[in-house]
Amino acid sequence: MIPSAGLRDAEQGGKLPHSDPEMSNLHPILLLVILPVMALAAPERPYFNDKKAPENRKDLEAIQKTLTSVLPKAREATVCIDIGEGSGSGVIVSAEGLVLTAAHVAGGVGKELTVILEDGKRLKAESMGLVSTTDCAMVRITEKGTYPFVMMDRENSTKLGDWVFSLGHSGGFDKDRGSVVRLGRLVRMAETTIQSDCTLIGGDSGGPLFDLEGRLIGIHSRVGEVLAQNMHVPIQEFLTHWDEMTRGEFVGDGPFAKKPETGKGFLGLATEPRPEGGLKVTKVGRESPAEKAGVKEGDVLLKLNGKVLQSREDLQNLLKEMAPGDKMALELLKKGKPETLEMKLGER
Amino acid sequence: MNARFFPILLALDLTTASYGVQSLEGDLRKNGDAVVSIFEDQRAVLQRSSAVIREGRKDLCYGVVISADGYILTKASEVQKISSLSVIVNETKYDNAKVVATDPTWDVALIKADAQGLFPVSYAPSADLPQGTWVVANGASSTTRRRALVGIISAKPREIPASGGAALGVILKKDSKGLEIEAVNEKSGAQEAGLQKGDQITALDGKKVSKIEQMAEFMKDKKAGALVKVSIKRAGKEQELDVRLAAKGELFDEKSRNDQMSGRFSQRRTGFPRVIQHDILGNEESVGGPLLDLEGRCIGMNIARADRAQSFAIPVEDLKILAEQLTKNAAH
Repeated sequence: MIPSAGLRDAEQGGKLPHSDPEMSNLHPILLLVILPVMALAAPERPYFNDKKAPENRKDLEAIQKTLTSVLPKAREATVCIDIGEGSGSGVIVSAEGLVLTAAHVAGGVGKELTVILEDGKRLKAESMGLVSTTDCAMVRITEKGTYPFVMMDRENSTKLGDWVFSLGHSGGFDKDRGSVVRLGRLVRMAETTIQSDCTLIGGDSGGPLFDLEGRLIGIHSRVGEVLAQNMHVPIQEFLTHWDEMTRGEFVGDGPFAKKPETGKGFLGLATEPRPEGGLKVTKVGRESPAEKAGVKEGDVLLKLNGKVLQSREDLQNLLKEMAPGDKMALELLKKGKPETLEMKLGER
Repeated sequence: MNARFFPILLALDLTTASYGVQSLEGDLRKNGDAVVSIFEDQRAVLQRSSAVIREGRKDLCYGVVISADGYILTKASEVQKISSLSVIVNETKYDNAKVVATDPTWDVALIKADAQGLFPVSYAPSADLPQGTWVVANGASSTTRRRALVGIISAKPREIPASGGAALGVILKKDSKGLEIEAVNEKSGAQEAGLQKGDQITALDGKKVSKIEQMAEFMKDKKAGALVKVSIKRAGKEQELDVRLAAKGELFDEKSRNDQMSGRFSQRRTGFPRVIQHDILGNEESVGGPLLDLEGRCIGMNIARADRAQSFAIPVEDLKILAEQLTKNAAH
């Protein structure tokens, strides 16, 4: 695939990253020279995948050699996702820090998370959209940077029996250990689930499954009671819902994530009406969304999402229609000066 | 490290076949017969240089043959307190095998079987292998045939600290003057050594202790498996006992969610000075045997199945030293 010049900008806009990792950092002039070489270096389907089973020592060594050569890059892009009360795994798929994970790890839309790189570096991140029916989710690292990332298998070219490997922070992040690699084969394939014999455990959820060309082919989702049952969401399912996820949508109605309920939102402040209009803030809850956004005692709320606030009922009625995670703009007076604060509703 | 982590959800029922579902036959899976049959050379090494350690007809674990005249290394905690051990190497059974030396720190025991002409493992020069390297270990075994299981090196070599720190395994009486034992944990070294309710602890390794803080200070840098000389006063008489320290986290039967999905794992699975990690699935009985590379050389000894996804082996460098030391100890 030859990347066109426009694609990199599109990537920054949150669209599907199409460009080759080696290409994206190159000066355009260099491309002319480098392209033929890159074309030659394009990964080929390893020959052992077309054998029913390895036949001799040479085949085993070929599997080992291929795995050890693609592992370092895959490992660099594999992350731990700390969600406060626990952790899962994920994988970076664009230089800007787009991360794919499982919906049951992200837990919802617009949540604050921490992404931990292999070297232990902790980065701020937030969850984007998710598909709650099949366990897909997208997370964005919000700190600016250029991150190591992996390519996805867009052509859906893996076949039953292909050799694959899984990475993940089994049981949580452990810097001395690093992420854990397991080798296996694709043993079962269905439309929204693929199964491998790479053994998974808690903490691996959301981590990547790779083919032996080092391309991302799935995200760890769940396990069966039998040790050999390890389920992954195929990357195709992510590609199908890519735009919805980049827009921050909550797709479907479970079971892998619970849709926020309207009326369950939480702002964290107490008010009293002001004779001359607006609502005076009498109390701000500690660690509440209101406090985090900068609302202070004594501020006067004027409008929520453009709607005038005259009484406490006005505010309550508006909040009743909203759900945790919803964004809102609060127009208020701070020491008499008008200001607009943006915040997200928390969960009650 | 996080104390908690996100559990993988248990699977929904996926057995009802829908259109387009493809499934790979069992023979062709990673540890299916067709794949494992390519590891026949390595299996042959297991056949002659690994041992099946048994109590009567029950397989306890495996062992590493380290000498022609019947010295075998195995996992100590799996053979402890067993009075009549037998050993199978290749197709021959040797009764009355004896534990002749142990190393509590590494949880390794040296067994002597009355055998001649065995084939000891040949040691690999180093266990420092890249992740992704093939490894082979003992799988379910019959009396005449060893089976191989295959996997790869899956994480960095490292120390596995004792879960929860090291502990004697006693509960001290509150509000008592001095350190009086209120209860002894059943799985602890304190129980093995014979500490009892009512004993008064007076010194640890010869250092006088009378307060719980002094005891905690003493235990702080200790490792699970180490032996501590515990001086006690019982019914007015002074005594000294050697007590093995256990990992606090392994004294209790609490199972984490990850443990619940891990099948059978090793009772002692933490507190090792250094391990290499691989992804061969087994159970608590599949430890003790050699871990082989594709050349059939011994790169370590399996010491713990930690959980569903992680198995530990003692690296060959340390194993060689252990073999020498334990053989020397046994001779004295």
